[in-house]
Amino acid sequence: MTDVTLTVNGQTRSASVPPETTLLVLLREHLNLTGAKLGCDVGDCGACTVIVDGMAVNSCLMLAGQANGRNVTTIEGLATRDRLHPVQKAFEDTGALQCGFCGPGAIMASKALLDDNPNPSVKEIRDALSGSLCRCTGYTKMIDAVQEAASVLRNEATKQLTDART
Amino acid sequence: MDDKTEVLEREQLDIEILRDVNLRLPAVAPREAFPAVPLTVDARLQTRAVGQRATRPDCRMHGLGQTKYIDDIKLPGMLYARIKRAGISSARIKRIDTSGAEAMPGVMAVVIGKEIPVNSFGPTFQDQPVLAADRVFHAGDGVAAVAAVTEQIANEALEKIIVEYEALPAVFDPVEAMRDDAPKVHAPNSNIYASKVVRKGDVEKGFAESDHIFEGRFSTQMIEHVSLEPHAAIADWDATGRLTIYATIGRITLARADMARTLKLPMSRIRLIGTTVGGNFGGKNEISQEPALALLSKKTGRPVKGVFTRSEEFTSSTTRHPIIMDYKSGVTKEGRIVARQIRLVLDGGAYCSWSATTLGKACILSPGPYKIDNVLTEAFVVYTNKTMTGAMRGFGAPQVCFAYESHMDDIAKGLGKDQLEIRLLNAFDEGSSSPTGQVLHSVVVKETLNKAAARFGWESQS
Repeated sequence: MTDVTLTVNGQTRSASVPPETTLLVLLREHLNLTGAKLGCDVGDCGACTVIVDGMAVNSCLMLAGQANGRNVTTIEGLATRDRLHPVQKAFEDTGALQCGFCGPGAIMASKALLDDNPNPSVKEIRDALSGSLCRCTGYTKMIDAVQEAASVLRNEATKQLTDART
Repeated sequence: MDDKTEVLEREQLDIEILRDVNLRLPAVAPREAFPAVPLTVDARLQTRAVGQRATRPDCRMHGLGQTKYIDDIKLPGMLYARIKRAGISSARIKRIDTSGAEAMPGVMAVVIGKEIPVNSFGPTFQDQPVLAADRVFHAGDGVAAVAAVTEQIANEALEKIIVEYEALPAVFDPVEAMRDDAPKVHAPNSNIYASKVVRKGDVEKGFAESDHIFEGRFSTQMIEHVSLEPHAAIADWDATGRLTIYATIGRITLARADMARTLKLPMSRIRLIGTTVGGNFGGKNEISQEPALALLSKKTGRPVKGVFTRSEEFTSSTTRHPIIMDYKSGVTKEGRIVARQIRLVLDGGAYCSWSATTLGKACILSPGPYKIDNVLTEAFVVYTNKTMTGAMRGFGAPQVCFAYESHMDDIAKGLGKDQLEIRLLNAFDEGSSSPTGQVLHSVVVKETLNKAAARFGWESQS
């Protein structure tokens, strides 16, 4: 067994798992965070995407042991009691969530992009979502959603700055 | 403001008040996101829905990652099932030895085809076994199912199951399969398991009256739905003999009937819970592994979950029909279509599934939205030793659309005419009748074509 201690959505979590356990299985089976989905188990579909130390990662391809000591954010860590994360809100508003199975992965991939790049071009969005397969939306709504969320996040950042000055 | 709108608004107010309490997250999607006025409108009038943003009522849960698909559900004591696939396209099963798997620690039960009470199902013809018993019809057929305490043990157990096959002749090409001397997939039945003919006027006379004859063959490939959520189910056969199935199936009443048939259980003993489906597209319209999971649950007295791997999705679930489409059209020198003869050969794979429905729709729609007085369409769906084909968005319509529109382009090119012009010359009008004699209403083909052409600048492109 491998002992893993990591930060998940701001909380320190520990588990003792068989060494072949993936980060996805650790999250889903041991920590009961079923938001990240298993779609292909080979890193093609992106339904299992979570953010590890700021990077979007296919959690089905990362061993739980490799996540030891790292900071993991899952879809469950985005919304607060008061509000949805702007990316979640935008995905909802634009209809980018249909069957919803790819949603958590696509939202996490989008969040990782926006954390890095507050004003991405369509090409950059396509690039960031290239690892997230969706069979319902045809992706256009997702691209709209990311642009909408980017604009909301930029306005919030500007407002915070002006508020701080006054 | 009419009364209806008022009532709706009042309902919305009530909900608004409730939401202000902010009882908890996740909250339901806001009600006002739905169009407030009922959407039924008269034909040819724009509905109020167009241009509105409508939020799906379930998307809040999806975006929060809170939706529970089958794989997110865990019942106490639950076992994990895996299915051994044949890996051979056509064979007789000589012997199955499951003792090695049964002896493994952690393996709780094994089920083979012979144990299924009625080992056949299907929406039109009941020609598909739950698990192959004597004969394997395609490589993705299941031959045994294992339930174990972990998925990993179940996977290892599959390797301990020994199956001896006697390979039999197989056929993979649908045109070859139509020949008399081709191996019969479901002997003694013919490989052509359904056909349809649509006849209108006299095509031979029409061809004789035409100035030009155009012929073309078009074919499409097999396509898998690849819904992001794989086929998955949990079966729980309880001590009172009642069976609860959690399944990611779109047609749950049909699935319940199929379960009753295959398990020889009265329908009243079967409770089928349709969970949120993570993408269907026609691929989750029938049962697959569910009866095997039910028997594993009966044997072990524990709930059993089965989730297809991505490769099983490709080899063992339904796909879109590949169709070989032969078109022959007689046209006047002005470009009017006088006669059209079509022959469709649908590759039906190893089982019927929704092929009969697909065949019908492909056949009826194959002449295209054009006024043609003389039409003859003959369509056949044929067994081959390949993954079964079934329902997929459009039921055969996209395949024939590709063919008749490509054919129209060929005709336009041959006559030196504009592709838009030739369509406008032949397209349906209000009150035109389809090849099957249906008089059509609300026909806006020409308006649509003209508007589309204007929008993307067809004139300047051609």
